[in-house]
Amino acid sequence: MKAIFSKILVAFMAVIILASCSEDFLNEPKPTDGVSEPVVFSSRAGVEAFISGIMRNFRGQYTNVDSAGLNSIFFARTVKGNDIIQANNWFGFDYANDNREPTYRRTSFTWNYCFYMINQANALINGVEASTVLADADKKELMAYGYALRGFFYHQLVMEFAPTYSFDQNFPAPPIYKSLSTTGNGMSTVKEVYDLIVDDLTKAVDGLNSSRLGKSYINKNVANGILAQVYQVMGNWPGAEAAAKAAYGGNTAAVLNAAGYRAGFNDYSNVEWIWGSAQSSDQSNYYWGFPHVGTDFTTTSYTSTHINVDFASLFSATDVRRLFQLRSATLPVTDFRYWITSKFKFTFDADHPIIRSSEMILIEAEALQRQTKDLQAHDLLYTLQKNRDVNAIRSTNTGPALLEEILVERRKELYAEVGVEWFDAKRLRRGITRTGNHRIKAAANLTADDKKFFLKIPQAEIDANDLIEESINANR
Amino acid sequence: MRLKFKWIFTLLIALSMQFSFAQEKTVSGIVSDQSGPVPGVNVVVKGTNRSAQTDFDGKYAVRASSGEVLMFSFIGMNDVSVTVGASSSVNVKLQSTAKSLEEVVVVAYGKQKAKSIVGSVVTVGKEVLEKQQATSVLTALQGSVAGVNIISAGGQPGENPVIRIRGTGSINASSEPLIILDGAPFSGNLNSISSDQIESMSVLKDASSTALYGSRGSNGVIVITTKRGKLGTAPKVTFSTLVGFAGNAVKLHDLVGSDKYMEYTWEGIRNANQYVANQPAATAGLNASNSLVSSLGYNPYTTAVPVNADGKLVSSEKKWETNWADLMLNDSAIRSEHSFAVSGGSDNTSYAFSTNYLSQEGNVVTSNFDRVTTRLSIDSKVNDWLTAGITSFYSTSSQNFPTQSGNSFQSAVQWIYTIPSIYPLYQRNGNGDLIVDGNGNNIFDYGANSAQLINGNRPQLNNENAYGSLFNYKIKNKRDNFTANAYLQVTLAKDLLFKTNLAYDKYLFDSYNYASNEVGYASSVDGRVTQNRDITTSTNLINSLSYTKSFGDHNFGANLIQEAYKFEIDALGAQGEGFLPGVYVLDGSTTPSSVSGSTTEERISSYLGRLSYNYKEKYFLEGSYRKDGSSRFNSDVRWGDFFAVAGSWLLSEENFLKDNNVINFLKLKGSYGELGNNRLTSYFPYLQLFSTGWNELDNTGVVLGAAVDPNITWEKTASSNVGLEFGLFNNRIFGTVDYYSKESVDLIYNKPLPGSTGNTGITTNVGSIKNYGWEFSLSTRNVSTANFLWTTGLNFSFDNNEITELTQKSFTNGNKRWEVGRSLYEFYMQEWAGVDPATGYGMWYKDVLATDGTPTGERVTTKAYAEATRYYVDKSSLPDVVGGFTNFFKYKNLDLNVLFNFSFGAYVYDSTYASLMEGFESSGRAAHQDLATRWQQPGDITDVPLFLASNNDFNSQSTRFLFKNDYIRLKALNLGYSLPQSLIERAKLSKMRLFLQADNLLTFQSHKGIDPEQDFGGATNSRSYNQRVVSFGVNLEF
Repeated sequence: MKAIFSKILVAFMAVIILASCSEDFLNEPKPTDGVSEPVVFSSRAGVEAFISGIMRNFRGQYTNVDSAGLNSIFFARTVKGNDIIQANNWFGFDYANDNREPTYRRTSFTWNYCFYMINQANALINGVEASTVLADADKKELMAYGYALRGFFYHQLVMEFAPTYSFDQNFPAPPIYKSLSTTGNGMSTVKEVYDLIVDDLTKAVDGLNSSRLGKSYINKNVANGILAQVYQVMGNWPGAEAAAKAAYGGNTAAVLNAAGYRAGFNDYSNVEWIWGSAQSSDQSNYYWGFPHVGTDFTTTSYTSTHINVDFASLFSATDVRRLFQLRSATLPVTDFRYWITSKFKFTFDADHPIIRSSEMILIEAEALQRQTKDLQAHDLLYTLQKNRDVNAIRSTNTGPALLEEILVERRKELYAEVGVEWFDAKRLRRGITRTGNHRIKAAANLTADDKKFFLKIPQAEIDANDLIEESINANR
Repeated sequence: MRLKFKWIFTLLIALSMQFSFAQEKTVSGIVSDQSGPVPGVNVVVKGTNRSAQTDFDGKYAVRASSGEVLMFSFIGMNDVSVTVGASSSVNVKLQSTAKSLEEVVVVAYGKQKAKSIVGSVVTVGKEVLEKQQATSVLTALQGSVAGVNIISAGGQPGENPVIRIRGTGSINASSEPLIILDGAPFSGNLNSISSDQIESMSVLKDASSTALYGSRGSNGVIVITTKRGKLGTAPKVTFSTLVGFAGNAVKLHDLVGSDKYMEYTWEGIRNANQYVANQPAATAGLNASNSLVSSLGYNPYTTAVPVNADGKLVSSEKKWETNWADLMLNDSAIRSEHSFAVSGGSDNTSYAFSTNYLSQEGNVVTSNFDRVTTRLSIDSKVNDWLTAGITSFYSTSSQNFPTQSGNSFQSAVQWIYTIPSIYPLYQRNGNGDLIVDGNGNNIFDYGANSAQLINGNRPQLNNENAYGSLFNYKIKNKRDNFTANAYLQVTLAKDLLFKTNLAYDKYLFDSYNYASNEVGYASSVDGRVTQNRDITTSTNLINSLSYTKSFGDHNFGANLIQEAYKFEIDALGAQGEGFLPGVYVLDGSTTPSSVSGSTTEERISSYLGRLSYNYKEKYFLEGSYRKDGSSRFNSDVRWGDFFAVAGSWLLSEENFLKDNNVINFLKLKGSYGELGNNRLTSYFPYLQLFSTGWNELDNTGVVLGAAVDPNITWEKTASSNVGLEFGLFNNRIFGTVDYYSKESVDLIYNKPLPGSTGNTGITTNVGSIKNYGWEFSLSTRNVSTANFLWTTGLNFSFDNNEITELTQKSFTNGNKRWEVGRSLYEFYMQEWAGVDPATGYGMWYKDVLATDGTPTGERVTTKAYAEATRYYVDKSSLPDVVGGFTNFFKYKNLDLNVLFNFSFGAYVYDSTYASLMEGFESSGRAAHQDLATRWQQPGDITDVPLFLASNNDFNSQSTRFLFKNDYIRLKALNLGYSLPQSLIERAKLSKMRLFLQADNLLTFQSHKGIDPEQDFGGATNSRSYNQRVVSFGVNLEF
């Protein structure tokens, strides 16, 4: 009798267990490594967290040592020129001007990374716009932030994947996206992309103010700086002059600090830095941090980056920017390793420069010269030159010679930072001829409007995008 | 007739023996097998010297008292032990050790007679496991089960092999089989289980056998059952110990020594000077001599310019020559294993307890694995309707795991194949003399002394010394695994059984990583300690009702099961930097640089049923159905339905075969089913989230996560199987043939998206792949006499893979290109066209294009690698056939088992060899002896291009480095000698066996220098080498 009772009890329990609601059982687990869209767009703090996350990705470990983040795009431009010599090491193929095929890492990284950032910017713009909780003033400013980001990355993209603006405005350029999509858009034109960039950056300058969460973030000055570079490429000289001036504020004395130039280029609190990527020892891209990790021979690094003897000889002995040392006392001057530089000090918390005041001063100077205001241009140029070299002598150049002087000054000022030599050669439709003690010389020369000034469209994009024809790379 | 004669002979021996009768009663009976009485069977009263042998009619008589245990043994049959009860008559039926059809096989949620199995199930029993030193038990399946392809790559003990049952069925979800341990899914690490504790492993291959694991059964299921005690058996104690040595199973690539190396490097520079910079030959040679040392950075020779302008070594006198392989690989690694077990049972309670200790050193000098496991199981018949049982298991292990594969600088094998012997182990000054520290000790040379122009900067793997890093870095894994598995079984009514089973598993994984504060990659932050502790908890509850009923010749069976599975990973990690020398714990850090932690949960809720029917045990039918809900999918699509139907026909039971002299057994079987897979890498693949952790300095940061398909759901695989089983000549030959076809439906696939959308892929259900093939197995009893037994087993399978649907025309994935109609494993790369005899440059093929840009079908050679066309080269990393071949010999007390496994038809891309054949393009990289046949002057016909210290693509990816990777391996050899019963009885032992055990003793391979077991994609990855282990041991039983 007791046995039967027990058996019934066991069977009853079994039925209870079987019938217990399994939907609840399955609904209980929730992800702990992410937050949902409403959390992000329901407060200014949420959106700022999103902005912070995007800024963090400026200096990530995206694909590999030479394809880490924005710094990798800049350094690839640097080694394509004549002033810097890269050993057969990371960026060696960029140095050979030979890293542009559809299946190469440079090509797919630059494409995917810029579009990744553009997609984040679109999510920011559209998420803020759709929010019914945020204040209107906040919405305007936060959307402006998204426009600045989108404009900046479309400018990097169009420079990397199309000939320059003045070459052919109808040349096929990367597709335009203004919202999230899981299907590909077709190619645009250079003109369409520049129209979008100018529109975005204009809205950004309008919507942003001078405040920001930190110097690695974008504010009105930074947006102006980006716009100045865009106008410089487009040849809109009044626009470039105004934007450049607005970017650094117009007071050269307040934004130049010669001593800071020799401090290792690793601290964005330097007054000359308008915008830089911040790093800390636990938020670092570690050994992916070019230029620092390639140029600094005093610590554990790739020790891969050298200075062309011809470039080094442009500097006077008293120029604060002449930060060159002999690699070894015994190397002949023809050896590519002859000069190295101590401009960049590598640590895991070394910040990366993006826009500095001296670049803006020189854009303004160039814009003035282009508008035949040679005297004003000369004043501005000399202010910078005198700051850098106490023995600087005001030159008497005018016209094209003055322009050349400004361009050389840009190289001397910005070497190994943002690829200035490549940027100028590309926009001015000039070639780059290798001289001096280069490791690879004529084979890596670039002619004017050389196709090697831009990359082919990645094969993976062509394969997955129905609107981009296989033949897109035929004339690239 | 001969057999009968032999029996009579053994009978005579038996009769001539002296029986010593004690005062106990006489126990007698008949010993028989399937075909009738067996004469000559040994009957021993355990723990005494009383014994007997059966006579011509299988009869025996022996003195024994109740409670004593009778042991029956006969060659070729399984031993049987029976406890003497009240009755003085004990009849015994012996089972042949060859495959027995009445044998019970562990299948999904239960056991079945081998005869009634309708699907494809292969069981590997303890007798196979006992003959191998399987540190990870799964390696014992290799070569023993057809259709199972196993790769155990590398020489780090304690690592689990990669297993594919019937091919790779998934791309983005896991392709690993589901592991069921004592009835519940096992989520710990399988290396925590020692093989001596396992009773059997059943490999369930087709849909009908795995359907009850429907949701996760599409990649096959391995059901592991541990040893348990048996009711009514006397206590049995076994002890075994084993000690051995291990070294490399195969030889390394042949490297050139320092002298050759210097001359070769000179030649590379000379050629660059002469052919690229167009210097006159004499100048080119002189310049090469002068730049040789600066290009290498080091000079081990006593002369400043070690190679003269003619390319000859001036003097071979040198200050060092480093043999990195000798330093870093352990050719006398010690392996020792000891185990102790007790089992037995009374009339209503049985128990088994075992403990095992293993210590094994690995292929790389500091690597090792230490493990202690303990298992206890108890089963009890509480009363006539209730049975309960529990197994508890604890395992703890630690593993020293220096980096030994991959391309991080300290990776041991990569180092051996990158740094030539001209680089020193210890720091040298500019003159090549040793530099010592303040205590007079040598200092490891990290090759990053930029102050010193000679002997200071190594061009390759700068700022590292992989040998030094074995001591200066520490990588340790610790694992603790606790499992408790309990059941309660109630007989509710006649034929109706209820069983509830709860399995709880807790697994703690602690990974610890220290990088030196003084040298190496973290020296710039004064060292770094990273420690992660993950606690994985899984709980699995199964309630089942089973019902069996027979009406005359109609036999029915039904199971109704409910299952709930809960899984949680609780991860915690910390990292700190800034350590004093000799401080290795996080407490000592000056900068605690990061902390991390997360909890991830997964749940599955399931309902399942199985119906089976047979008529006269001749026609079998089975159907099963399972419904699963998984928390990995959105609530609308989380429930999946899985099913299978199967049938078999025992032709040998039909009248036309019943009395056939040749065919004793013949079974035809077939099954079809649809199974699932939810094992994606993401636990919430359907949720679009902003992921946390992207902080910008002090500001909290989130970013938009990858694009998701909110409706992603179960991957399903439609699987069919047709098979034949046969037994010939009194079952002396037993074999099976199976054909299978598995096609995935709704494959979980990372569909490529255009990168311009901001995402390069989206994980969704698209595409389809198919695996199909044939499996064969054959076991024979070649000779079976009283003193000599010889059995053979052979199994092999032909497995094929085909992509049947893709979302785009093709998808390039490394050196493969996926296209409908091709396999996932077909190589697609540039085709090497040899060396141009005129220039010594390498050549490849390229297509001739018509004016419209399409290939004309013609092809020509090119010296420009960028122009070379990529082709399907008609070679695959998937083998045509894999299998195993085993032979067992027993002569009197000697036994020998040899197991070979083999793989034919696969190709491997040996990038290590490619790197060794670089031909001095970059300076200071190790070189292969095969370079000797390089092109030296116009007209030379060779396959090795000239040495050229200038940009070239000679060793870029091409068929030049694609090699056939056939191999046969003597995987396990076990030679044993059992001491005669008469001898050991005095020591109160029932068994004592001495044995020699050798694993991976011989390897015959078509491509030498690497271990043939690399990976399914046919790629090398600077892996350490599998070990050849030779051990001696002893088993004791009493």
